[in-house]
Amino acid sequence: MSISQAVETVADGSKSEFRRGVASCAPVLFGTIPYALVLGAQATQKGLSTVELSAMTGLNFAGGSEFAAIQLWTSPPHIVLIVAITFLVNSRHLLMGAALAPFLRDLPRRKVFPALFLMCDESWALGLADAKLRAAAGITPAFSPRYYMGAALAMYLTWVAFTTLGALLGPMLGHVETYGFDMAFPAVFLVLMRGMWTGMAAARPWLVSLVVAALVYLFVPGAWYVAAGAMSGLVAAWLMAGDA
Amino acid sequence: MIDAVTLLTIVLMAGVTYLTRIGGYVVLRNRTLGARATAVMEAAPGCVLISVIAPAFVSKSPADLLALAVTLAAATRFSMLPTVLIGVASAGLLRHFIG
Repeated sequence: MSISQAVETVADGSKSEFRRGVASCAPVLFGTIPYALVLGAQATQKGLSTVELSAMTGLNFAGGSEFAAIQLWTSPPHIVLIVAITFLVNSRHLLMGAALAPFLRDLPRRKVFPALFLMCDESWALGLADAKLRAAAGITPAFSPRYYMGAALAMYLTWVAFTTLGALLGPMLGHVETYGFDMAFPAVFLVLMRGMWTGMAAARPWLVSLVVAALVYLFVPGAWYVAAGAMSGLVAAWLMAGDA
Repeated sequence: MIDAVTLLTIVLMAGVTYLTRIGGYVVLRNRTLGARATAVMEAAPGCVLISVIAPAFVSKSPADLLALAVTLAAATRFSMLPTVLIGVASAGLLRHFIG
């Protein structure tokens, strides 16, 4: 089901918002499961117990930083290095939360703070894209907390369950890349970006981000490319807004 | 089962991650943004998404680049699930036949 179809469905009131969120997250879960299994399997190879791995994915719940942490894991772990890399990989959440903030104004903080614990790339992108479509369709409030929680909880439970399963299955698993599952992530992100498309001019900062992130990825070791790409796109948006 | 240093590392990881999740919201919750800042915020989601998947655009594997082109074309026409299926199938098949 596309997001625009989902918006029509909810206008009928025939399906609960929570279920709509879970349903729209389903294609993303499809791409997440192989990664979760691989992370769990890698963690046990680095000497983490299943309980420790489950604690990490359940408390931290940010896949990119967990892959980075497991890559860097030693026994005992280098705490400062791993925490710094975790912050670096997850610094994009600052921008994501800022982009979501205008849609959360009418919600009480006791609901927002737990909801933000579950904010990952996928739940954020789905929630924000849905809010923008609903705003364009004249539905108020634009942001649907139950839709967001449906997508976010489905993502959370899938991540924790399948990373744990990966740790239990351990080294029996091979490489996900062989089967093409990793292409699910670009596919999901590209469809989400099409939903945000408002014209060539507004998309110019995206092009700047793509070029800078790709160059940094090619020439700078580590996970700097996400932060560098995102920041240069924002600087471009700032400068281009001055032209108008 | 749980090593103390490992647990401390995990708890600190979770702490900084949660701070990144609430930071943007806490700082911007009660502010009204100007035109430039609004333009930046509107561009932000796409900038983050494209940066995360940027490595796929400079893959050294011809099969991966071709699969990405197929996926990109699918994303302009189809909804989420067909696009994901086309992307995964094209990547799997192209890697199998091209390598």
